[in-house]
Amino acid sequence: MPANSRHLIGSFILLALLAGVTKALFFNSSLPPADFTFVNESEIKSLDPAIVTGSPENRIINAVFEGLTKLHPETLKPIPGLAKSWDISDDLLTYTFHMREEARWTDGSPVVATDIHYSMRRFLGPRTAAEYAYQAWYIKNAHNYSLGAKGIRAGDPVEVELNLPVDAINTWRGEIVHAKLLAVEQKSESDDQRVFVVEIDGKPVRYRPVDDEHAAENKPPANTRWCRQVLLDFREVGIEVIDPLTLRITLENPTPYFLNLMGFYPLFPVNQKCIETFGSPQWAKPENIVTNGPFNVEFRRIRDRIRLRKSGTYWNRDTIRLNVIDALSVDAVTTSLNMYMTDTADWVTEAPGPALRILRQQQPPRNDLNPAPFLSTYFYLLNTARKPLDDIRVRRALSLALDRKEITSKILAAGEVPALGFVPPGITGYESQQTAGYDPEEARRLLAEAGYPEGKGFPRLDILYNTHEMHQTIAEVIRKQWQRELGISISTRNEEWATYLASQRQMKYNISRRGWVGDYADPNTFLDMFVTDSEQNSTGWSNAEYDRLIAATGKEANPAVRMQLFQQAEKILLDELPILPIYFYTSKNMVKPYVRGFYNNVQDFHPLWAIWIDRESGETNEFMRTKGQP
Amino acid sequence: MIAFCFKRLLWMLLTLWIVFTVSFFLMRAVPGGPFDSERVLEPEIERLLQKRYNLDKSLAEQYWIELSNFSRGDFGHSFKLTDYSVNEVIAQGLPISITLGTFALVFALVLGLFAGIISAVYRGTWGDFMLMLVATIGVALPNFVVAGICIILFVFMIPIFPAAGWGNFSQLVLPAFCLGAPYAAYVARIVRTSMLDVLSQDHIRTARAKGVGPVRVVIVHALRGALLPVVSFLGPAVAGILTGSLVVEQVFAIPGMGSHFVQAAIARDYTLAMGLVMLYTVLLYSMNWLVDLSYAVLDPRVKLN
Repeated sequence: MPANSRHLIGSFILLALLAGVTKALFFNSSLPPADFTFVNESEIKSLDPAIVTGSPENRIINAVFEGLTKLHPETLKPIPGLAKSWDISDDLLTYTFHMREEARWTDGSPVVATDIHYSMRRFLGPRTAAEYAYQAWYIKNAHNYSLGAKGIRAGDPVEVELNLPVDAINTWRGEIVHAKLLAVEQKSESDDQRVFVVEIDGKPVRYRPVDDEHAAENKPPANTRWCRQVLLDFREVGIEVIDPLTLRITLENPTPYFLNLMGFYPLFPVNQKCIETFGSPQWAKPENIVTNGPFNVEFRRIRDRIRLRKSGTYWNRDTIRLNVIDALSVDAVTTSLNMYMTDTADWVTEAPGPALRILRQQQPPRNDLNPAPFLSTYFYLLNTARKPLDDIRVRRALSLALDRKEITSKILAAGEVPALGFVPPGITGYESQQTAGYDPEEARRLLAEAGYPEGKGFPRLDILYNTHEMHQTIAEVIRKQWQRELGISISTRNEEWATYLASQRQMKYNISRRGWVGDYADPNTFLDMFVTDSEQNSTGWSNAEYDRLIAATGKEANPAVRMQLFQQAEKILLDELPILPIYFYTSKNMVKPYVRGFYNNVQDFHPLWAIWIDRESGETNEFMRTKGQP
Repeated sequence: MIAFCFKRLLWMLLTLWIVFTVSFFLMRAVPGGPFDSERVLEPEIERLLQKRYNLDKSLAEQYWIELSNFSRGDFGHSFKLTDYSVNEVIAQGLPISITLGTFALVFALVLGLFAGIISAVYRGTWGDFMLMLVATIGVALPNFVVAGICIILFVFMIPIFPAAGWGNFSQLVLPAFCLGAPYAAYVARIVRTSMLDVLSQDHIRTARAKGVGPVRVVIVHALRGALLPVVSFLGPAVAGILTGSLVVEQVFAIPGMGSHFVQAAIARDYTLAMGLVMLYTVLLYSMNWLVDLSYAVLDPRVKLN
């Protein structure tokens, strides 16, 4: 082949490649701009409300689905959603929801009580494996239903789900046989060996749970039948359809925030027909999904954007003022700030710390930045199973030697508040408790009393944190403060996110950084973390009186008494200090001045349905009007 | 030639198997799993999740299940983007990364060739000195630093390009430039050296003596010979641009393979991470293979095998 023709071929290939690529690009560029664009942090895990957790998912699911109640964008009080009204029994255990007739799914069918019933069963069902399932365990018998085989005892009414063919759509339920559980035969500890003996029409029948594939390929042993699973009879769970538009929910205990939970996205209803037609996860594709909220999902591009469009079937569509919304997926905070600054985005949820410091010092003050406290705490866990942190005097000394003001004023940029308590301020009716503040003198005395005068003989502990510039700076400052005040030398250790979580969980740490954001505006979301058997309590700390108080709050119907019980519990926590509260977070939203209907609130939650764009009036928007930090 | 390709194919399968095995066990050896989160799951719920994803089985069983799925081309569903299969994520991400990579390569070649030729022709002048200084800096600076500088210059000081995102041509320019810049610098240095080498050879003197114009001498007679080292550099360059896009894609919020890979690794998305590792393996392997083939085509002295 002569050299010239080789070059010719080469250039042709290159040209063709470029042409193809450019065509693909310009094909894409025809996307019309959205009315409102915001940075939704990470790509969402799924559009299925039942299986997700996390703020990015919360924003999207709240826009495309609606629950019995929804939360007011400013006060976060539950307001009517699918339910136009509700009655609460005097013992605070029974909620009767009256649903509105005009609520529609996007396929045109009405949203009725059986939809809620179906969705709740699906949410609680073990096969769904909903991470947030425990948020519905306040409902009578819901916990036992969720536990599957572990939630039933001999004598319980049960439901046996029979196997389906292997090629059945994966969201179908097998035929349900209602029965009474007589006994569980278990040869060994392993789950697979269990046989459930149930009574049907007065005769005992033996069922053994296996997966569909196994059931299709193998014959069951003599006198035994295959089944998918044996659960508590769902009719025992406190969810009852009275008529198509009336639903009654019965709770285990009076739960003051139950109405808030009904407006919490994992408990939103989903469309049974859609799910059973397409199967999982195909039903959640934008072209298949049937929703009932203010917006529809127009399309999704992975790690690029989710485009939402105002729904034409939403019952309250006349009040929705945004037509098209783009939720961008941007993982780097600096990048999202760049996008905001160049007007690509109208709202960023978190401006990076160093930039925030500069932005807050600008004169005249910016009209798009208003950090406000919300329900979340930054704290250190102390591993009380290790020496010398098992000694309460050491823990107190560490806390007393902490100069929290130095951290909030010199390092943090968004006006964060030093925390002497664990439950952040802002919960109505709750009086925050406090541990003693900065007192190096007393700290030294306690440390000496514990056997480490001037820090002599104190082991070299380390502070564990997940890799992040801010956590590192804070850990360094705290290390220096303890060195200065107590004469002890501490080192710092950083681990990448998942590794750090594993170390923390397995208690492979001495002191570990931790943060917690409240799920609802109630002290319970913070304080139940540290009861002895809580999964979140990775400090090894246990206090019987604390456990008793938290348990008592669950049964207490009088709100004032209940809050007092919480206060007593927090006092114990702050007295024994298995944790060192450091500061309360503030929100770091940046919102363009023409964005209206966006409020600062205690959960840093901003539903999209309340937002509109107003470029004409020139009024100060709700975001800047709400009280922020000085 | 066919025998060579066939042999390479066999080696590729072996490489893929080894990469799969090593990645599989390394991923699971790292502490932390896909279901670890700030909020520790209730033990019952966690057990159900593990069962659903076969993580309750023994490592050997999991390995066998995964391997047989992969060999059928079924990469499974992403753990963390549960609405999508790994294949769907790749189908959306790969064209984006290829577009970005192609433009980066074009930048690298055009800028590099241009600078290299100028430097060689005007060697010893301040222009040569400046170009090579820039090239040295370009080689030394990692692409995220270049990205930072470019964003300050061309997004904020002279606002001609968007800060980030994907969808139209103007969003492509900066990331492609940042990704290509270090390679442009390499190419410039390679071209300069080989140009100087060729320009001092006999056939160039002969051409000049015959009265061929200076432009024609450089472009037609010298450049052809000087290109070979550039072609051999293309293999590593393509590999580098593919893997380098991890960082650039994050900085410019581009929904390509790089972003998916980084997030999958951080979140312990076993299936997606594995799918991407295998894809990168195939890509890198094929690139090297193509370079070997192109040697044989460009230079008859090279024998395959």
